[in-house]
Amino acid sequence: MVGRESIGIRSFRFLTGALLIIWLVLPLIPLAIWSFARGWFFPSLLPKTWSMKAWEYTFSDTAGVIDSLWLTVGISLAATLLSILVGVPAGRALGMYKFRGKEFVELLILAPIIVPGIAVVLGIHSVFISMGLNNTVSGVILVHLIPTLPYMVLVMAGIFANYDPAFEAQARSLGASPLKTFWYVTLPAIMPGIIVGGLFAFLVSWSQYILTLLIGGGRVVTLPLLLFNFATSGRNDITGAIGMIYILPGIIILLLTARHLSGRSGAVGGFGQI
Amino acid sequence: MTHVSLQKLTKVYPGATEPSLDRLSLEIPTGELTALLGPSGCGKTTTMKMIAGLLAPTSGDVTFDGRSVLKDKPEHRGVVMVFQNYLLFPYMSVADNIGFGLKMRKVDKPQIEKRVAEMLELVKLPDLGKRKPAELSGGQQQRVALARALIVQPNVLLLDEPLSNLDAHLRFEMRDLIRSLQQEMGITTIFVTHDQEEAVVLADRVALILDGCMKQYDRADVFYKRPVDEATARFFGGQNFIQGVAGNGVFEAAFGHLELPAEAASGVGKLTFRPENIRLGSADRNTLEATIAEKIYLGTQTRLKLQLGEETIDLIANPNDAEHLQPGNALTINLPPEALWVLQS
Amino acid sequence: MSDRLKVFLLLLPALSVIVVLFFGGLLIGLMRSFNYMPVIGLTEPDFSAYVSVFTDREFYLSFMLTFYIAFVSTVISSILAIGAALLLRRQFVGRAIVNFLFQLNLTVPHLVGAIGILYLFSQSGSFARLAAEWGMIARPAEFPALVFDPYAIGIILQYVWKEVPFIGVIVLANMQSIGEDYESVARSLGANRWQSFRHVLLPLVFPGVLSASVMVFAFTFGAYEIPAILGANYPAALPVLAYRKYTDVDLAARPEAMAMAIIIALLSAVMIYFYVRYSRRRIRG
Repeated sequence: MVGRESIGIRSFRFLTGALLIIWLVLPLIPLAIWSFARGWFFPSLLPKTWSMKAWEYTFSDTAGVIDSLWLTVGISLAATLLSILVGVPAGRALGMYKFRGKEFVELLILAPIIVPGIAVVLGIHSVFISMGLNNTVSGVILVHLIPTLPYMVLVMAGIFANYDPAFEAQARSLGASPLKTFWYVTLPAIMPGIIVGGLFAFLVSWSQYILTLLIGGGRVVTLPLLLFNFATSGRNDITGAIGMIYILPGIIILLLTARHLSGRSGAVGGFGQI
Repeated sequence: MTHVSLQKLTKVYPGATEPSLDRLSLEIPTGELTALLGPSGCGKTTTMKMIAGLLAPTSGDVTFDGRSVLKDKPEHRGVVMVFQNYLLFPYMSVADNIGFGLKMRKVDKPQIEKRVAEMLELVKLPDLGKRKPAELSGGQQQRVALARALIVQPNVLLLDEPLSNLDAHLRFEMRDLIRSLQQEMGITTIFVTHDQEEAVVLADRVALILDGCMKQYDRADVFYKRPVDEATARFFGGQNFIQGVAGNGVFEAAFGHLELPAEAASGVGKLTFRPENIRLGSADRNTLEATIAEKIYLGTQTRLKLQLGEETIDLIANPNDAEHLQPGNALTINLPPEALWVLQS
Repeated sequence: MSDRLKVFLLLLPALSVIVVLFFGGLLIGLMRSFNYMPVIGLTEPDFSAYVSVFTDREFYLSFMLTFYIAFVSTVISSILAIGAALLLRRQFVGRAIVNFLFQLNLTVPHLVGAIGILYLFSQSGSFARLAAEWGMIARPAEFPALVFDPYAIGIILQYVWKEVPFIGVIVLANMQSIGEDYESVARSLGANRWQSFRHVLLPLVFPGVLSASVMVFAFTFGAYEIPAILGANYPAALPVLAYRKYTDVDLAARPEAMAMAIIIALLSAVMIYFYVRYSRRRIRG
């Protein structure tokens, strides 16, 4: 605001800023180093020998990491796709219409965002047993909808709130069928929202741990489960390698969407679930 | 009671190639009400912020009574700025908003309450102290913003587009309020506006800023009669510019000679005169024959486009006088010498 | 088609999913916590699970620990996030890169953060090695216990690491939409730098901070994998305890796990109340 500031204030600001950024990147560094380390014992600051062993193991057929990676991608893609299919219409209703009970509906959709998964998943687990959905991939996909769907609905509601339905009326009056109107007018207009919302729904599903653990019952081993197992069994080098693979999609998505991201868009709320 | 002086004030924003404000120099006498007039983006608000200390100039100086204030922090300058959208703090009551400046100065509470009540009286909102800003009309918010500024008894008051957010009927009321408070308290006041009407209505003097440079600094009426150049004349609604040569008190245009006022410049240039200063009928001097090309009825006045040889000029007439005039008719007009002005090229 | 019917049809699929899965899950959990499940022959509800939960010392310790973790993490994260937003809202060279780094860990799952904190702060971790390098300690055991510790320092560090950017991004956007003019007004009315922050900017961003903090509090209260990796064995955080009870070989412990899940849900209902209250106020303001 004020142009002239003392050197003291400016250097304080620079130092705290630098400290903040270092702190935010710091925990990822030992993870990255471990993935290339071999026998990195206390008190060595850096590994005595560097090695690709952990990466070789990770990419080998016997480790199951690659299978787990594709399984996780599949589950997250499926959960995202379902969220888009179900979430876009609901977002349209909330963003474009005023109706009685709207605040209540918003509350219903908000609740799963704030209530932690552990509070509902125990109940779901005991029902899924009787439905045969336990220990299945479909059961895991379904339960992932709890965090991804509300979030998709809120993002789309934000998009539809800024969307002018007069374009659709114009298309209809020019002779387009409802389906053509949706395809040529509505869809292009809401596409940026679907893409950003979808990418983040993907990340939310990608990062689920406890829901997968309980509903998958140890049979559906996604990447975070594998990561947790290696981390708690002390295989730091393999943990490091899997960890690096695991955070890659998020960083790519951030690079792709950094320009669209600001705390104002509903998309940021999803970060609370990752 | 402060004489404000701006000396070659320049602002180049980081990353910009063109200065937003280019060497603006201006003397604003104690207690006067001065308008900085210019189109949006011409550096007016930038100037205000530099006077208030909210922005540091790239070069140049701001002095109050001859003393440079550039090193003074905004809270120590005795300058208060009232923003265009009032910016009342939304979570505070009207009374808390008005008392804000005194609270910051750690004045004790009973004293603040007393002063706030006085200010509410002064801006004619005695019963609204407990309301929230969102519950007030635009005009009331403007008064609260003014009261919030005046309570700290500033030496210099800065107003950003003070009338532009108000409905037509509120503008004159607010204008009278600002003028009377300003004169009563004798505060040197500077306001910025893009609206020449607002500047003329409110200010003692007007500084016209175009493209970051000051064009002219004068009493308001001078801009209409004696603009410094075509851009200035156009900014004040000038329409008529005729190419020709001035000399010996006469202007030679393609369609004939016109007698000029004594103080008009000589040489090649453009003749300008205001559409409302053309008279219908003949007179001793400067009588011309024109053809009506177009007639536009504007309600309270009628605008005629006249063909004068190769030139087209605009004339504004009383609708009653123009009632029987039709396009294609011939029309006798006269241009009183004192209505003419020459812009040198 | 009437608007009401249209709205109903548009909402139907999403609400079905949420009501059946989420509220169904909650309801079943509630019923089982009361030992009521007609399908499997339990027709007489009772409070036995709650009685045994509330008379269990471990539950109290676990609840207090979890509340402490959530509260301390949320408060520290909010304060640091406001500070970070104040730093980042200015124009400076390299802002795009700094912003990217600031947002980087938003996409990094909590689990990875927890492992990273473990490798940094454990007694044989990077900081312990640094201390050894500087001759401050000779053996790992001399390094202060910052993970698996009774004060849950490792867990709190992880949440602070992860939530400062989360709250920070929201506060930053808030500050950017507020702009600097309110503070300019305050300064020109005589407020100094601190006063214009304290009396003007802070009240303006507070509702945004609060609604973000509420989300963080609820998350940190109910998260499983972070305390599972970084926490002490006894007392464990409430979600860890609930999971242990649920997967206990003794099936009789399951209603107790359900009761704990319901307690977590109740606490988040309180959070929802605050969230709605403050986010609505923010919209109105």
